[in-house]
Amino acid sequence: MSLRKWTVGLMAGMSMLMLAAQANAGEVRVTVAEYSAKTGPYFESVKKDFEAANPGITVKFEIVPWEVLLQKLTTDITASTNADLSIIGTRWLIDFVQQDVAEPLDSYITPEFKDRFIDTFLSPSIMEGKTYGLPIAASARAMYYNKELFEKAGIANPPANWTELQEDARKIKALGSGTFGFGLQGKEIETDVYYYYAMWSYGTEILNKDGTSGLSTPGALEAAKLYKSMIDEGLTEPGVTSNNREDVQNLFKQGKVGMMITAPFLSNQIKDEAPNLKYGVAAIPTGPTGARGTYGVTDSIIMFKNSKNKDEAWKLLDFLFTTEQRAKFTQGEGFLPVNKEEAKMDYYVNNADLAAFTALLPDARFAPVIPGWEEIAQITSDAMQKIYLGSAEPEAALKEAAAKANGVLKK
Amino acid sequence: MQTRFLPYLLTLPSLFLAAVVIFWPVWDLIQISTHDVSRFGQLRDFSGLTNFWALTADADFTAALWRTGLWTVLVVGGALLLSIPVAIILNTDFYGRGIARVIIMLPWAVSLTMTAVVWRWALNGESGMLNSALLGLGLIDQNIQWLASAETAFPMQVLIGILVTVPFTTTIFLGGLSSIPDDFYEAAALEGATPLQQFREITFPLLKPFINIAIVLNTIYVFNSFPIIWVMTQGGPANSTDILVTHLYKLAFRIGKLGEASAVSLVMFAILLVFTMIYVRLAMREQRA
Repeated sequence: MSLRKWTVGLMAGMSMLMLAAQANAGEVRVTVAEYSAKTGPYFESVKKDFEAANPGITVKFEIVPWEVLLQKLTTDITASTNADLSIIGTRWLIDFVQQDVAEPLDSYITPEFKDRFIDTFLSPSIMEGKTYGLPIAASARAMYYNKELFEKAGIANPPANWTELQEDARKIKALGSGTFGFGLQGKEIETDVYYYYAMWSYGTEILNKDGTSGLSTPGALEAAKLYKSMIDEGLTEPGVTSNNREDVQNLFKQGKVGMMITAPFLSNQIKDEAPNLKYGVAAIPTGPTGARGTYGVTDSIIMFKNSKNKDEAWKLLDFLFTTEQRAKFTQGEGFLPVNKEEAKMDYYVNNADLAAFTALLPDARFAPVIPGWEEIAQITSDAMQKIYLGSAEPEAALKEAAAKANGVLKK
Repeated sequence: MQTRFLPYLLTLPSLFLAAVVIFWPVWDLIQISTHDVSRFGQLRDFSGLTNFWALTADADFTAALWRTGLWTVLVVGGALLLSIPVAIILNTDFYGRGIARVIIMLPWAVSLTMTAVVWRWALNGESGMLNSALLGLGLIDQNIQWLASAETAFPMQVLIGILVTVPFTTTIFLGGLSSIPDDFYEAAALEGATPLQQFREITFPLLKPFINIAIVLNTIYVFNSFPIIWVMTQGGPANSTDILVTHLYKLAFRIGKLGEASAVSLVMFAILLVFTMIYVRLAMREQRA
């Protein structure tokens, strides 16, 4: 190849690079979290339908696994190469607002648009009176139980409180043959949340009324002791600290675990992977005073302040939050409806599993809106792992974690 | 005169390029680590060594530092001890040597992350392959929860680290062995030297420069190796299998302390730099002597 040809090729390559780096007018880039194998195909169809309805606008979805989403956003924002829109965990939103990278959407939101949403799910995205994100995904937690194991063990109804749960777990354990009463998650994301289910039942909140960590309260200690005693008695699966949420869900799907607490998407997975499993969904058990709590989670889609195509991006948001699009996405992923019209659809009304989740919504706690929340979650998870492993006494571990968390809260 | 400066002049462009590639990120890290830095990397006020002092007060950092040392010594040492006999065997002529060489090299061809994912499955307490195999062989009578605590998880991670380091190390040694002339062994055999004596007096001394290279390169790779520990335990439970890279990743991307994470990064860079300089100096002095 002659030198001349090389030069031409090189120039062509460089000009293509420059084109790629430049944001095209009318192009909306969206960073999207991959919730399941269905996420990619869904957004592929959004691209097709939206572009057909809006000539002149092209959409580019960048689909990223959840695990690396925050890392990608951090590096993208640092380098100012972030997309126009992005899905984020609503618990991160305060950081985005404080760092002034999220655009308030109030100037775009009409009363009609706002009225599409169920308030419970929209309110976590509102900060200081401004709406910074729209709830693209919503979820809560409830207790799944294996009806077949319950029948074999002679248990009629799912447990209403933790004492009953322990008794039921003993009966299931007595069945032998590799069955475990209660699936306890002790690894990776949401290890802290699995502990909060018990903690909320004992009347302790993540933050006390005065804004300090709730981990040093008696309720927190009772909850930790409850889980630890269940581990020691062999009522949970062995090796709690080696099982993340998916591992416990897999044990449940294999019919090895009597009860576990998780999100609505497990129903979808069971339908696909273990259609013969007989299971039910019930409320999270209550504590001695009848208190209980479930974890409410939303993910928000936000617009970046430095976006050059805000009007086009808004058009896409408007499209994503139509009833038809919402239903397609929510049902595919196994989330809860965030849209009022959508919630009235037969799919949700006649679905016993989902009804159990929506019934718990009045008891739902969302992650507290504080900077440094991820660090407090990490501190709590670490403390729980130490307690589960027995490498620290519950009281000492919680005290230490509370002190660390208070240090973060003071900043 | 001209010829004296010409070589320097000719290497100048690549030297410049290397400097840009190496020094620019380091400079960036120094900037971030000495400033108060936002969640998304925007620099605010100059904060001097605050981020470095914060590290010394962090018990998880000190624990991860010691564990990184242990991890590096065990993996590099283990790989070295294993690779020398493997290389010597592969260097001898036997039927099926080609296939044996391919098998030894194979782990190298699989991405580290994938290897770690497969091991994570294999070490699963309830449905893992390793437990089924051990149960089937009657070696254990109940499942071992390999990844549930550091006592079993960390040794397994070290073993896997050794496994994936062996191919590269063996390749270096095979190169070294093929550079030793056969005459030496023939002469030694004639004089009545035993195989062990041949190894001690011929193979080992002549292989030394290659061992040195293997130690330096492997130390750098292993010290910075992220996938095995991250995929299997994420440094857990309760940070008990954390090494510096996994600790750094959590600091930067989970908790959002980019300043402290950059400080960890610089500490790691400094440790490796000092190690390499001291080691190379020692190795060279030995060779001259």
